[in-house]
Amino acid sequence: MLDIIISILILIGAGFTFVGSLGLARLKDFYTRLHGPTKATTLGVGSLLIASALYFSHTGPGISLHEVLITLFLFITAPVSAHLLAKAALHLRLHSQAPVPEEDKVGNRD
Amino acid sequence: MNLMSIIITVFAGSLLTAWVSRFGRLQAAWVAGLITLAALAQLLPMVPSVFAGNTHIEHWAWFPSVGLDLSFRLDGLAMLFALLILGIGLLIVLYARYYLSARDCMGRFYSYLLMFMGAMLGIALSENVIQLLIFWELTSLTSFLLISYWQDREEARQGARMALAITGAGGLALLGGLIMLGQIAGSYELSVILNSGDQIRAHPLYVPMLVLVLLGAFTKSAQFPFHFWLPNAMAAPTPVSAYLHSATMVKAGVFLLARLFPALSGTPEWSYLVGGAGLMTLLVGAVFALFKHDLKGLLAYSTISHLGLITLLFAIGTPLAAVAGVFHIINHAIFKASLFMAAGIIDHEAGSRDMRKLNGLWKYMPHTAMLAMVASAAMAGVPLLNGFLSKEMFFAEAASAGSHLKLGWLLPAAVTIAGIFAVAYSVRFIHDVFYNGEPIDLPKTPHEPPRWMKLPVELLVALCLLVGILPQATVQPLLEIASAGVLQTTPPDFDLAIWHGVNIALIMSVVALVGGGLVYAMRLPLFRLHDEHLAPRLQAKAVFDHIMSALFRFASALTRALDTGSLQRMLVLFFAGALVLGVGGFLMGGGPLSGNRAMLPLDPLSLMAALILIFGTLAVVMSHRQRFTALILIGVVGLVVSLIFVKFSGPDLALTQLSVEVVTIVLLLLALYFLPQSHSAESPRWRRARDLVVALLAGTGAALLSWAVLSRPFTSISDYFLANSVPGGGGSNVVNVILVDFRGFDTLGEITVLALAALGIFAMLERIYLPGPDADAQGRPWNWDKHPAVMASFARLLLPLALMVSVFIFLRGHNLPGGGFIAGLVTAVALIMQYLANGEEWTQDRLPANTHPMLAMGLLIATLTGLGSWLFGYPFLTSSFGHFHLPFIGEFELATAMAFDLGVYLVVVGSVLLILIYLGLMHGASHRPASGKEDYR
Repeated sequence: MLDIIISILILIGAGFTFVGSLGLARLKDFYTRLHGPTKATTLGVGSLLIASALYFSHTGPGISLHEVLITLFLFITAPVSAHLLAKAALHLRLHSQAPVPEEDKVGNRD
Repeated sequence: MNLMSIIITVFAGSLLTAWVSRFGRLQAAWVAGLITLAALAQLLPMVPSVFAGNTHIEHWAWFPSVGLDLSFRLDGLAMLFALLILGIGLLIVLYARYYLSARDCMGRFYSYLLMFMGAMLGIALSENVIQLLIFWELTSLTSFLLISYWQDREEARQGARMALAITGAGGLALLGGLIMLGQIAGSYELSVILNSGDQIRAHPLYVPMLVLVLLGAFTKSAQFPFHFWLPNAMAAPTPVSAYLHSATMVKAGVFLLARLFPALSGTPEWSYLVGGAGLMTLLVGAVFALFKHDLKGLLAYSTISHLGLITLLFAIGTPLAAVAGVFHIINHAIFKASLFMAAGIIDHEAGSRDMRKLNGLWKYMPHTAMLAMVASAAMAGVPLLNGFLSKEMFFAEAASAGSHLKLGWLLPAAVTIAGIFAVAYSVRFIHDVFYNGEPIDLPKTPHEPPRWMKLPVELLVALCLLVGILPQATVQPLLEIASAGVLQTTPPDFDLAIWHGVNIALIMSVVALVGGGLVYAMRLPLFRLHDEHLAPRLQAKAVFDHIMSALFRFASALTRALDTGSLQRMLVLFFAGALVLGVGGFLMGGGPLSGNRAMLPLDPLSLMAALILIFGTLAVVMSHRQRFTALILIGVVGLVVSLIFVKFSGPDLALTQLSVEVVTIVLLLLALYFLPQSHSAESPRWRRARDLVVALLAGTGAALLSWAVLSRPFTSISDYFLANSVPGGGGSNVVNVILVDFRGFDTLGEITVLALAALGIFAMLERIYLPGPDADAQGRPWNWDKHPAVMASFARLLLPLALMVSVFIFLRGHNLPGGGFIAGLVTAVALIMQYLANGEEWTQDRLPANTHPMLAMGLLIATLTGLGSWLFGYPFLTSSFGHFHLPFIGEFELATAMAFDLGVYLVVVGSVLLILIYLGLMHGASHRPASGKEDYR
């Protein structure tokens, strides 16, 4: 039973990682491409970590908590790096496929 | 009470002296005096036992495997020198307190003086000859500091540099000689060496070894042709000259001759080499002393001459000559120290040392004049003074040694000529300074010095008289026991009487006294002769300067030829050199390239990793014009390498590789910022072709080398480590146990180098502000938001987590992958992260950029952990471990290796932080973001 759960989790993780990589390769502009890796790091790696935690808690002497720490690190670092990448892209005025929003709706951003 | 504690007292006292000088000028003098007394108080209780004929030997294992141990020896000779060093040292401490002016820093002076004293004691008391050499080099270094004490004077700096160059070069030769000596005798311990004289003298390497040892002794003792550093060292403050050139520094050379006398002497080579140098030095020193108008210059050459005399006595090689040599060492130390101090008093109170100006001082300072005259008469060898007795013995030995040789009369004749000049310059010292008319435009009116400044001179002069009048009652026992120490047997019977009847020695003495008076009477024509003909041709300093500047020219020409400041060129030279050596060595060795080990099957994972590596490397080369792309690709290569480590069961290496990779990327990013944004022109085609060829050849060579090594069956010492890691080091992580236990001393050396490298980089970067670009390659200004809030706040959140990980890695390091080095890198990365995310101002308020204390603490902890094992009687860096049980936490293990690992951890954190922070500060100071906030559209 546990084996099946773990297998499903691993498959989900692998699937999301694949979709993330595919997105990184296939999507048209920088901003949409940014979505791909974030999916891979959150859902993809997250599922793999849960699988790992289940497996090692089952086979090891106690509950395996390393994965919690890894999750924590990922949840802290992944948004920050995505944020910084987006910020850099904005600064460099990279071309976006999305239509330019209209002046009065956006207001005066700083 | 032990001998090592005497030396430690003095060295520790040196630090204490430097520290107390902040509480007042004179505190340093008091402390230095008390330290010297404390050292004497430790030595004196052992004196009776030495007089009873015992030799104390103390032994601490240090590096038993290479024959280097901490061992100390106290026999008659060592005791004599220790007493001279401490006794005269004490008088110098008193004297210098009045000599130094208010402008001179007392703490620095006394601190150097004590350091020097400790090093001299180390030479005198060493049992191990390599240890002796370490102290020998320490005297060279500390004498450099003492001679250049008045750093603002050019002649002091030059004199100190010359002394260091000559004695340092001699020390190098001595190291070679002593290693050969130890190899010949089979041990570096003096007790073995002194007892295997016959074996040493019969050995085929005897002559080269002797030459090297003598080079060391001659340079130190200012023997011809290395004598010229000594007069130039007179730029030192007079207390330093009085100490270095009477009882210490220059006596180290003759001490070495005396110490190794039973092992080396008694061959024709010894007699001719030592005797030739001694005789030349004796004559040259005596003659030139007469022509020096500077008081200290006269004394310097006279010192050279007396050192030649002692050397010549050891060259003669009979037991009685050795006794005479030891006796003259004592006498010379006493009268020369008092003469230098008297010269210093005259200089201090009259403002000049020029004997053409100093005349008729008897009227102004009769007391000092009296003392100087007695000491000077002792130097000339006037009866009823100590110098007379040893000189008489010297004349007798020279005469009897000459009688065995063809043309043997030359030796006593030459010696008598030297005696004549010795009398002449002593008379000049007395007559020119204290009589001979009136002083000629002196800067001050001379007067008597303070009471206590004269006391050391009075004591020494009293000793001259006591030894000279009552030799049997005073110096005889000391001389006997010291001579026994030199000869390592019972010394021959000798008679220290003042009157031996009319014999050849007495006749030589009378000739010397009368002849000396005559030469002095004829001094004016002689001075003219010297000034016109001799002086312009004999400029040892000019020759030395010429050789030195030729050496510097050669060195800088060689450096310029090899190093044009181009990294590419250096790499090409390096790889081409390695290729030539590697291919040449392989072709000469003649073995097959491929071994006979069975190949492992190829697994797809390794193949893929290898392919990624190859493509990654190629991509780095192709994209070298896009620096950031190249940087990312280098990161890919590094990550794949760490994955390969995981695959081949090297988790420690993988962890290290990962953390090093992160630090490297940060470092490269900081450095790239200062490189030009737009690339300069591509190199010419032929250069790229050359680089390609060299790179391909070097890569192929490295691959073939790996192939040759890996295809052979290979038994290494790793089996030993695997077997002994748990029982011997108490840890199941073999890599960590090797680092902190089996090869702990290597690690200690490495972290020291790391700390030094960090300090070096700090010194270079500290005040540099490089102008960085204020826009990127396309001319777009930097973003106004240097430290985005999202990044800054999340980085703060990350810090405790990252620190926890590093503590975790550190603690489990002894048994599971991890350890101080990796933990240090992780901590450093976590802290650097704060700098990157929050900026220098925010971070420096919370975390000082100055990590020097951390480096020092790390090195201190590591070294003290190593020393701690001495307390329990184990060799340096022996680790111990135990298992403990605590409630809730369970059983855990504590090993002293963990304290050592803590030292490693601190040094790694400190070094990485120091380097990266200062590289970043150089950057931050110039980083001017575009002012104001920017509109995004």
